[in-house]
Amino acid sequence: MPREHLLKIGVSGIRGVVGPFLTPQLARAFAQAFGTYVGGGRVVVGRDTRATGPMLQHAVQCGLLAAGCEVIDVGVLPTPTIQLYTGAIGARGGLSITASHNPPEYNALKLFNASGLFFNHYERGELLDIYHQSAFREASNAEICPILKEHAAPVRLHFERVLKQVDVERIRARKFKVALDAVNGAGAVMSPQFLRDELGCELHAIAIDPEKPFPRIAEPRPDTLTELSALVREHGCDIGFGQDPDGDRLAIADETGRVIDNDDVLAIAVDAVLARHAGPVSVNLTTSSVIDDVAARYRCIVLRTPVGEANVVEGMLGSGAVIGGEGGNGGVIFPAVQYCRDSYAGMALWLDRMAATGETVSSLTSALPRYYRRSATVGLEHGWLGTVIQRLAAEWPEAKLDRRDGLKLTLDGAWVHARSSNTEPILRLSVEAKTEAHADQLFTAAKRALSLSAVPSPAK
Amino acid sequence: MAKNVRISEVGLRGVVGSGLSAEHVVDFASAFGTFLGPGAVVVGRDPRASSVMLREGVLAGLLACGREVIDLGLVSTPVMQHGIRRHAAAGGISIGASHNAAEWNALKFLGAAGTYLSTAEAGELLDLYHLRRFAFVDWKHIGHLRVEEDALDLYLDDLAQAFDFKGLERFKVLVDCANGTSSKILRRLNERHGFHFILINERMGAFAHEPNTSAATVALQLAPMVQPAGADAGFLFDIDSDRVAMATEAGEAVSEEMMLPLLADYLLPRSPGKLVITNLSTTALVEEVARRHGGTVIRVPVGRQAATDALAMYRPEEIAVAGEGTGAVMMPRFRFVYDGIASMLAVLSMMQERHAKLSEILAGYPRYSILKGQVPLLPQKIPALFGKLEKRYADGRANAIDGLRVDWPEKWFHVRVSQTEPVVRVICEHRGGPPRMLFQELMDQVRHYAS
Repeated sequence: MPREHLLKIGVSGIRGVVGPFLTPQLARAFAQAFGTYVGGGRVVVGRDTRATGPMLQHAVQCGLLAAGCEVIDVGVLPTPTIQLYTGAIGARGGLSITASHNPPEYNALKLFNASGLFFNHYERGELLDIYHQSAFREASNAEICPILKEHAAPVRLHFERVLKQVDVERIRARKFKVALDAVNGAGAVMSPQFLRDELGCELHAIAIDPEKPFPRIAEPRPDTLTELSALVREHGCDIGFGQDPDGDRLAIADETGRVIDNDDVLAIAVDAVLARHAGPVSVNLTTSSVIDDVAARYRCIVLRTPVGEANVVEGMLGSGAVIGGEGGNGGVIFPAVQYCRDSYAGMALWLDRMAATGETVSSLTSALPRYYRRSATVGLEHGWLGTVIQRLAAEWPEAKLDRRDGLKLTLDGAWVHARSSNTEPILRLSVEAKTEAHADQLFTAAKRALSLSAVPSPAK
Repeated sequence: MAKNVRISEVGLRGVVGSGLSAEHVVDFASAFGTFLGPGAVVVGRDPRASSVMLREGVLAGLLACGREVIDLGLVSTPVMQHGIRRHAAAGGISIGASHNAAEWNALKFLGAAGTYLSTAEAGELLDLYHLRRFAFVDWKHIGHLRVEEDALDLYLDDLAQAFDFKGLERFKVLVDCANGTSSKILRRLNERHGFHFILINERMGAFAHEPNTSAATVALQLAPMVQPAGADAGFLFDIDSDRVAMATEAGEAVSEEMMLPLLADYLLPRSPGKLVITNLSTTALVEEVARRHGGTVIRVPVGRQAATDALAMYRPEEIAVAGEGTGAVMMPRFRFVYDGIASMLAVLSMMQERHAKLSEILAGYPRYSILKGQVPLLPQKIPALFGKLEKRYADGRANAIDGLRVDWPEKWFHVRVSQTEPVVRVICEHRGGPPRMLFQELMDQVRHYAS
């Protein structure tokens, strides 16, 4: 029977189904541990539009105030906006109350350090130790600070940072017709301002009421963005943008309403940045090779990291990458704005590229090298990971191996990547090749190698 | 070990940071959200810095239980009670430690009528708190917060029904707000109703002095300023404006014990109910005043809980006034909670109706002198102490429902264990000059009971 992950407290923070599992008690304690870890001082707190957001925000603020922190409540804002504001004002840390693309019954805390970056592995470990020891700072009446509210400044700062990196006048001159589905999320108010007021687009928007629940599955994917596709077609838009509830992920529909591949979303963003200044690119291991091809046009290198935003950001910081992200989930990370997945950077870079080239979305994407992708999740019983991974390696002895995150086998013009999920007892398998036939062949072979039924019983 | 937190039927009270923690607050609010019947919950707070932290925890716990929360902001407990009735809410949480020092804070729980919880109800709440099994709802049913800005004005409209505001406007009154919620209420009375309150220590949250309402605190800053200000009277409030003390127009600090007999004198003749409910530690002048008007005094153990339980035994119209020697007085016909603002307006109404100065009114009562002291508590020795005292003072009339009170004609003492602090309290009163000998004798015995 699959385990149900209704609550998860671990190095990625705290996440769960609110009510019976993710309680105000847990949120308060975790926040007080966070306040203790950062040692008091200013802490930025914001959230997405989930119904449970206000309750959790009060619990979080209770814990932070009790730890003697000066809480800056920025209200409903996208995660990247909260992150860059945290870094910009010299706060000790920040929290975003959001379960990102998870369903509405979930919520979670995303934790940021003084630079507005996701806590790295070591910071998360130390925080968890404080949480488990319940060794919290307990501020006295004289040490407890009032809550400061600030909403406009983070928005302004985010817009300024993004717009400085693109040719705003050239974009405005094009008067793009843009469709938007903001999933009634944290970008519901900010995205129309950004696209219409800042970038001069003719906007056709749906799901921009932050008071209403998510009208669709929160993850922006082709099958969840049918309304956006229809909107694009109805108004003859040049492009459609689909956000997730906390505004870090971005999906894009072309002028025909077809939602394009997430790897291509990142590829064109990389193209837009490298066209302005060449530099290293960093993406995760499971992102399409199309990124390598785009980087090669500018003679730039691509560095691969394990999957996970925090890993990619660490890789970017280490390599001085000028652009990066996670292809699979539409996460564009543009360090000139902030080291985080940012749908606003993504939207601006796309419009900038379209304005610079005069191309349409479909012509930009069709000019990218074509790769065929196959993905699956494979159920995994505990104790079998080593065995199946070894079988996978044995299947292609000629492959170049990368073992940083599960196993990635790189072949000529193709690769196979299998990694175990951090949150569920499954293996995620991805295969990519230049032809459909090759992709299918690799996919079948990989699935066979990973299938438990094919594994002989262990010797008694 | 320092005892910096007290969890009891009275609620949660402690020193923030070294006793009362955020954990206590979230758990108690969750327990209260689980405990209450259906309906909204009203929340208000006093101006302590820590009250902001407590508010966040209270809101989180209540919202998680699916409660609609109506936040009245910085308001006194009487304004909260008024709000609970106005909204027909399920109950309320008052955040604030009243007369305690700045580093303390507390959660006080109010039921559907806006009254404090009875002992039985409070016991159930405590059990839920200790079990930590809370009725949290799923995301679709999570509670919503509504901030109500005009709760104070609506409360003042209600006060205007009970008192003749027009007649009281002429008084010039000096008030020491002790940096509590009274400053906000009185400023609003000035702006909105043309009163002439001159306020000192009005900046909320600053704490110029201890926020208690003893005569000694009245004498500290308020009393010396009444005459120079040319005021008709002076009043001192505690932080949440439920207790109030006085200074005369001549600048004399009045004992806090005077508030209840004074209001009994004012209210008994105009009230159909003839009951006066007070505790065993309050001045015997109450009985003397009640006799003048055919009233009956009911004495209950000290503490809010005993008073709440006693009040619940009667219909509001049967009770003329209830209160204690600390200056906390309630007029049940008007509101079932201690309300210092209403008490002050009643005193001013007395001056208005009798065309008399405050000092002249006070001169109409015989002199009673009360002495109060306290000794650190050693719980295991307490039964022996009371046994010893009872034997020693067998010539008086003994009452043992709360420690020991012994009455003689024109003299009484009360020795009891405090519910809020680890001390034994000694209190002794005489009709006439101070009973120094008896007081000294009692203090010596209590001091030595441990050895």
